[in-house]
Amino acid sequence: MSHIRFEGVSKTYRGAIALDRIDLDVEPAGLTVFSGPPGSGKSVLMRILIGLETPSAGRIFFDGQDITHVAAAERTIGYVPQSFALFPHMSVFDNIAYPMALQGVPRAEITARVDQAAGMLRIRPLLAKRPSELSGGEKQRAAIARGILKNADIFILDDPLVGLDFKLRESLMEDLKDMRAEIGATFLYITSDPLEALTMAEHLVVMDGGRLVEAGPVDAMYYEPSRLRTAELVGFPRCNILPGHLDAPSLMCTTAIGTLRIALEDGAVSTDAMVAIRPEDIAPAVSGAAPLGVGEVALVENLGSEAIVYVRFGKTTLVTTIPAQATAHVDLGDAFPFVVRRGGPIVFARASGRRMGRAIGMTAEMRNG
Amino acid sequence: MSERVREALYHALLWLVALVFFAPVFWIALSSFKTAPQILAVPPILFFRPTFANYARLFAEPAFQHHFFDSVALSVLAVLIAVAVSFLAAFAFSRFRPGATNFLMFLLLSIRMLPGSAAILPVYLMYVAFGWKDSFLGMTLFYAMFSIPFSVWILKGFIDGVSPRFDETGIVNGASWFSIITRLTLPQVFPGVVAALIFNFIFVWNEFLFNYIIGGINTSNIPVMLATGLSNGGGIDWTFLSSLTTVYILPPILMVYCFQRYLLVGMTFGTVRGEV
Repeated sequence: MSHIRFEGVSKTYRGAIALDRIDLDVEPAGLTVFSGPPGSGKSVLMRILIGLETPSAGRIFFDGQDITHVAAAERTIGYVPQSFALFPHMSVFDNIAYPMALQGVPRAEITARVDQAAGMLRIRPLLAKRPSELSGGEKQRAAIARGILKNADIFILDDPLVGLDFKLRESLMEDLKDMRAEIGATFLYITSDPLEALTMAEHLVVMDGGRLVEAGPVDAMYYEPSRLRTAELVGFPRCNILPGHLDAPSLMCTTAIGTLRIALEDGAVSTDAMVAIRPEDIAPAVSGAAPLGVGEVALVENLGSEAIVYVRFGKTTLVTTIPAQATAHVDLGDAFPFVVRRGGPIVFARASGRRMGRAIGMTAEMRNG
Repeated sequence: MSERVREALYHALLWLVALVFFAPVFWIALSSFKTAPQILAVPPILFFRPTFANYARLFAEPAFQHHFFDSVALSVLAVLIAVAVSFLAAFAFSRFRPGATNFLMFLLLSIRMLPGSAAILPVYLMYVAFGWKDSFLGMTLFYAMFSIPFSVWILKGFIDGVSPRFDETGIVNGASWFSIITRLTLPQVFPGVVAALIFNFIFVWNEFLFNYIIGGINTSNIPVMLATGLSNGGGIDWTFLSSLTTVYILPPILMVYCFQRYLLVGMTFGTVRGEV
């Protein structure tokens, strides 16, 4: 199991900063997803790890060994690029055998090892075919097999599902998870799709603007983000982010939809706050119960099992989800009385993006919002 | 007018234009199987017993053997050198994008915008100064140099279409750049290479002006032979001319016929690569 460690890794291109002092330990033998908007630096970081680029500053360690200046070919990394990059003019066999053929491994040994890898990945009947004859899932398996035969114990998958249709992506994601469990290697997966990131990840690394925003187990990153940007970037539908004013002595935070009572955590307090509320923490008020506020339905997007409802409340648009069967009672322009789940909202300092605390209750003012 | 009638008329018109343009070629090819009186007969004789005597005479002629060999050797060698150099240049332009790539690409093509007659004098003086006039190597290099710009353009279009992810996969697995170029990129841009070979072969095969001025007895190709060596005691030797012309036009015609699908992708700089 390779333990990967980035120490102060930076990269600049003609003065433009692509990566800014990345310090990160990657969990061995897990599936770690690097997520962030395009241009966030995740691909550059992976290219540096693979050895396709050298960092402008900082070092990279594999199991404590500095590999910053080790050639790409000598790193035990299997690279599965976007669209898998199977050579179209070679058979699946030759594609998989490519790393060994380059190393001058005898033909008999190549045949035996390709056969073994193909058997493990269930692509043995496809070895004589050309990549153009394979389905998306088969291509993915062939690309992984090529990586295995490089004796890799880390696999980097660079946005491998980009451009594929939804159904195929879904089945490939499942396939990939099973395959990772089977191989037992460390998988690093790059995506800018927040839904894909959540579906795939055991551990999540969020990057933005060349910086590491936050890293940790995926559940913690979703439910307990310690950075405002994490709350913004992780999750689908997007998190509701509302500006607020935190009154330090009373620990009350006033927002456009009401006032929250805050339980402060460690660290400095800033009066200029941002409140993050997950869509599932906003719910329609049950009849008879007092709502926090009454908004107006601006848009309903039906996703099948659930629907995303955009509720206009004053100048704020809130995003919430409801079960799809409930959409029968929700029309555009309808009044939408809503409540916010107690303990849901998290409060951050606006300037630093650092987490200050969590809402632990709704005050009377909040209900009257 | 129904769609079918319009289509038929359109096709008939195309055939008519094609026949008008093909008529001189047809006449010369037909003449190569006639005797001299049959060629010059008025009205023209369409039905006759074909003779191969013209070809027998042509192939026995030492001058023809010499010029034909020169034409083939010059065309093949120059084109191979040009395409090999151009492929490496196109790969470098496509992958490493040196500073001012676009300007350099324009500069390359601008060489071909210059009319041959404008370049002939400086080239002649240069070749005389270097002692390359009428040298086989000098002539070959000239044609290679003249073929490179267009080949770089064609090949760069194709190489741009090959994802750099293939190169990266090679690098990660320990491939050298030479291996990446020859084993990963070249097979994927093969149609472009064939197109470049054909276009340049046709250009060199047909070239007259530079061969006439900077060539000589040792390096003359068939176009120069056609223009200069056909008078037979003051008149034109039509039997020789027709058989020589027919032999001369055959290689390009055969190439275009055999590789027409590559020509299409070449003319569109790889944008319809999927057609091959």
